[in-house]
Amino acid sequence: MEDYPEELRTPPVALACLVGCPAVHGLITAHLHSQQPPINTIALPDFSKISVIPLKKPPRENSEPVGGIIRRDWLSKHRTRIPAVVAALFSSDNVYGDPAQWLQVCTDLENLKAVIRGRNIKLVVVVVVVTQSGHKDDTSEDRMTALRKRAELDAKNLIVFVPDDELELKQSLSRLWTAFTELANTYYRDEGRRIKTRLEKKNFSSMELNVRYCFKVAVYAEFRRDWAEALRLYEDAYHALREMVGTSTRLPPIQRLVEIKAIAEQLHFKMSTLLLHGGRVVEAIARLRQHIGNYRKLVGAPEVIFLHWEWLGRQYLVFAQLLETSSANVPNVQSMVSVPADKPTEWEYYPAYYYQLAASYLKEKKLCLEFALSMSENVGQIDGSAESVVASAYLGQFARLLEHDNTYVMQALTDDEYANHALAEGKRFQDSFEIIALLKRSFEAYSNSKAERMAAYCGLQMAKEYFSVSEFANAKQAFENVASLYRQEGWVLSLWEVLGYLRECSRGISSVKDFIEYSLEMAALPLTNNAVEPSFKDCGPAGPASLSQRAKIHEEALEVVRGESEENRDLKVNSDYPLYLEIDLVSPLRVVLLALVAFHQQTVKPGAPSLITISLRSQLPINVEIDQLEVQFNQSECNFIIGNGQKQNTAAISHVQPGRRVETAPDLVLATNKWLRLTYDIKSDQSGKLECMYVIARIGQHLTICCRAESPASMDDIPLWKFENLVETIPIKDPSLAFSGLKAIQVEEPDPQVDLTLGSTGSALVGEIFILPVTVASKGHAVYSGELKINLVDTRGGGLLSPREEEPFSSDNLHVELVDISWETHEDHSETRLDNIQKIQPSFGLISVPSLEEGNTWSCKLKIKWNRPKPIMVYVSLGYYPRKGEPSLQKVHVHKSLQIEGKTAVTISQKYMLPFRQDPLLLSKIKPVSDADQLPSLCLNESSMLIVSAKNCSEVPLRLLSMSIESEESNGACVIKPQHEEFKEPIVHMPGEEFKKVFTVMPKVNSTKLKIGTVSLKWQRDSRNFADDKSQVITKHRLPDVNIELPPLVVSLDCPPHAILGNPFTYSVRIQNRTELLQEIKYSLADSQSFMSSGSHSDTIYVLPRSAHTLRYMLLPLGLGPQQLPRVTMTSVRYSAGFQSSTASSIVFVYPSNPHFKASDILEIRKDSIAAD
Amino acid sequence: MIVCVAVVGHQNNPLYIQSFTEADDALKLHHIVHCSLDVVDERVNNPKRSGPTLNETYLGVLYPTENYKVYGYLTNTKVKLIMVTTDLDVRDADVRNFYRGFHAAYVNAVSNPFHVPGKKITSKTFAEKVSTIVKSFG
Repeated sequence: MEDYPEELRTPPVALACLVGCPAVHGLITAHLHSQQPPINTIALPDFSKISVIPLKKPPRENSEPVGGIIRRDWLSKHRTRIPAVVAALFSSDNVYGDPAQWLQVCTDLENLKAVIRGRNIKLVVVVVVVTQSGHKDDTSEDRMTALRKRAELDAKNLIVFVPDDELELKQSLSRLWTAFTELANTYYRDEGRRIKTRLEKKNFSSMELNVRYCFKVAVYAEFRRDWAEALRLYEDAYHALREMVGTSTRLPPIQRLVEIKAIAEQLHFKMSTLLLHGGRVVEAIARLRQHIGNYRKLVGAPEVIFLHWEWLGRQYLVFAQLLETSSANVPNVQSMVSVPADKPTEWEYYPAYYYQLAASYLKEKKLCLEFALSMSENVGQIDGSAESVVASAYLGQFARLLEHDNTYVMQALTDDEYANHALAEGKRFQDSFEIIALLKRSFEAYSNSKAERMAAYCGLQMAKEYFSVSEFANAKQAFENVASLYRQEGWVLSLWEVLGYLRECSRGISSVKDFIEYSLEMAALPLTNNAVEPSFKDCGPAGPASLSQRAKIHEEALEVVRGESEENRDLKVNSDYPLYLEIDLVSPLRVVLLALVAFHQQTVKPGAPSLITISLRSQLPINVEIDQLEVQFNQSECNFIIGNGQKQNTAAISHVQPGRRVETAPDLVLATNKWLRLTYDIKSDQSGKLECMYVIARIGQHLTICCRAESPASMDDIPLWKFENLVETIPIKDPSLAFSGLKAIQVEEPDPQVDLTLGSTGSALVGEIFILPVTVASKGHAVYSGELKINLVDTRGGGLLSPREEEPFSSDNLHVELVDISWETHEDHSETRLDNIQKIQPSFGLISVPSLEEGNTWSCKLKIKWNRPKPIMVYVSLGYYPRKGEPSLQKVHVHKSLQIEGKTAVTISQKYMLPFRQDPLLLSKIKPVSDADQLPSLCLNESSMLIVSAKNCSEVPLRLLSMSIESEESNGACVIKPQHEEFKEPIVHMPGEEFKKVFTVMPKVNSTKLKIGTVSLKWQRDSRNFADDKSQVITKHRLPDVNIELPPLVVSLDCPPHAILGNPFTYSVRIQNRTELLQEIKYSLADSQSFMSSGSHSDTIYVLPRSAHTLRYMLLPLGLGPQQLPRVTMTSVRYSAGFQSSTASSIVFVYPSNPHFKASDILEIRKDSIAAD
Repeated sequence: MIVCVAVVGHQNNPLYIQSFTEADDALKLHHIVHCSLDVVDERVNNPKRSGPTLNETYLGVLYPTENYKVYGYLTNTKVKLIMVTTDLDVRDADVRNFYRGFHAAYVNAVSNPFHVPGKKITSKTFAEKVSTIVKSFG
């Protein structure tokens, strides 16, 4: 597109001319240019310069022969030299000046009119007002009218231009622009119409004129921005031109066609531009198709056929560029819908498609040009005369320029001369680079739109072009990209071609490794046909794709490797340049050599032999004889070499390290697609993974192929061949191994010969330090560098920490912790401490075990403390070396585990009791409060009983040592007796038993929440096993807070401890009022069958403040044994609280006669009663 | 005249490709078929219009080259049937008809119990059948 002249590429812009008053030209020009639509201007400083506007030519005679179709300069003439409007600018000084000035103005105007009249150019008169001069109002009007008359103008086309005032300047400019636009439109319309009438009247003598007229009308329409009309007339011109192809005889045939194509190209370009800018992409594409269809077959004379291809290529290139630059969006292409044949397909909307076509035609041109050049011998000699050939006045024509008496004369050319000229021109261009550039654009565009195959095809052509200009490095890179796609998708024939080129590229850059690799890959391609099919013959530089050609390529590669190749002298392989090929899992060379390695077992004991099978397969067409195979493992001492039994002398050539195991196989020949299976046994002393890494094949002196070993279980199909219908063979005879065999084997640890014992001692108790003995006993292995690891793990999962706590290692929130590990040392204390690693964390411990000779034992004790009841697992593992000073040896490990339950040993509970037969009225008890919230209430300044009971929840007898209460409140808020009691002889507490201890509590402070204190019980296991262990455990229990209150009333019953039948006794009820208020008490006595009573039965009494009232009854027992005393019921009116003595407190034992007690008996009885409670 | 037919598998690998020309342009036709797979991909991966064309297997013209027209057809098992013809004016119905026969031949060939899916079609019967269909075309 850049080759086209500017006027063709851009839409036409109306042209105006300014004459006179050069000072304001800049202003006007800039304004006109910036408007929409813009107007270009020619600025002439004074009226003498008006001759630049070419005069009208005399009208054409009908008989006059037509020289060509379109004049080369016609368009540029109208764009740059013939204005549509001329503006005559006069200064107001001159217009209003003296008569001489006025006369000058008139003369100038007349001259101008004379020039423009012939061309029908429109006129505008502009009077530029110069302010200093001042207005002469009387004359101005007359002069203006005169000027207008003289110029034969409408009033609107006489413009007063005021450059000094901003507002007026703006108005003047806009009026100027309006007038210019209007007149220019009129001018172009008139011109167009004038020519159009000729067309309509068929007033033309030849086809050429028809085309020319259409073209002109179209251009005038474009000037007017009437795009539809322009398009229509361009189309007319195009069709008229097409008709000329067979009929025109004006020029010799070659040049005739060249001219027509040149015009057609221009017309098509115009149409495409208009369509694309109008957003009509589909139409533009359809038109291009039609255009190409029209001219494709018009190849022209064979000697200049290259011109045709060049022309075709240019059509596509220009269209591609237009498509790229046009803003029109690609319409949504219908997808998954069959595209009708007349609609463009997907790629036709992309410039890439046209670039590719342009490139392919350019390539065609290049070929034809080369051919034409080779055919014509005399190109060289006519070079001199060809120089004088220039483009002639008509578009698409060429002529010889001759100098005749200082004037130049155009002389028509003969076809031969023209052909020579074209050849000479063609020779000057480097088409290859242009082709590459086009293909690269296409390649990039396709890659961006994810059309990788299209891109690959462009890449392939690009690579071929590089190849043709011997840029092997670039070509190789491009070919490689393409090859990878063909490999992946299995397009074998295409791959064959590409590899053929790659082989040649490698040869070109003397890269022997690449050459051999590509040769081997080609030789192993799945092409099994013989070269009988003719269509497979032309397959690139490697020749026909056939089995025999594969064999040939294979042979050739081997010759190069052996250094015997005559053709490939540049490709050297010798001891200085040995060849090393690597084949990994993704290498395309897997088809050349595939190595599968399978161990027959999955695990093996150290030192025990295991069978290993190495299976090799090649798809090369000729049998390959391997001289030496080396199998490499991750444990290098297992590596071994397999020599070829047929070639004993060469097997030992090199690479055999001393001490390396060498096997010999009867023969190492790889036949096409047949497995070569080799089975050997292998031993490893080192436990861990033994994996086969590489199988290295050495062929001849200098070729080494290192092939990564693969497991049969995870083998991928080899590329390309997987699509072929081949006989499937399994790599190993054992079918199960063929599908599941692995290239790695697990070498186990040696069996441990050391016993690890955990002394199990039942469950542990919370609070105590539980001792777990661990014993290491050697039973055949000595222990060196032994390490004992201890792990405590929660059996229910989760950690040993309570989940709420954040700090991991604070001992408070650990449920179970490993406190210490202790062991006895027999040797010198300091020495053993030094080399003992000891590391203890709450749930993990690591200690080193001293070296043990065979048969020795060593033991240690783990001290574990439970803070909460929880079952845990203790894992203990011992790692050691059975021999001293061999760090390469594997450690032997012994593992043991034990579950230990942690249990609570004692649970402590408490109970408060009031003194016997004394009942205070506690107001808090009257209120209806739910039991759960209620604190136990105690009387202020009254002693109450506290009974603490401890229950043994464990399964072992415990020995209780002491019990004490530590008070929390200071300064005697509460007096507790006894504070601390050390048991004189330890109380053995059997499982399930409950032990009780009584304390007296006397609160001294009135408080709703009195902290009583914490009970501490000191105990230890009552076990003979731990006789030496004096560890004592303290279990603590915090007593709940109590409510202390002052009772307003206290009722106490008083009667003798026992009664004797028939003997009356006094039973009194004492009511104490501890308040400052008078208390009204109602009471009644219920009769009892066992007693006769005397005293008031029921009454209301008043108890004075801070005094007591006693009700007395005389009772006479009538029955024997424990008898219920008559129940006294009392009601305090003030507190609405009733009182009835409890059953237990109102029983008295009645003896038949006075009993006789001994003092010792009484003591015993008291003791019993305490125990019974 | 049909110059090339191809059956292309799931990995865009040729399962069967046969050209019917006298000239040595098998390779060129391979390239044309290979490039046309991009268009098939494009149409399959960007389904915009649904409706009656949802189950359409016939893809129509894939891409025009100067001398050939390439037609595509996608079976329900996503195997692509590609046809290259030198006739630039072919009736759609003829092409559809051709594909009907071609598809049927393909189905018969892969229904053979000895055929391994995904491998190249080497059946001689299939080749003969296809060549008959090709000859009777147009």
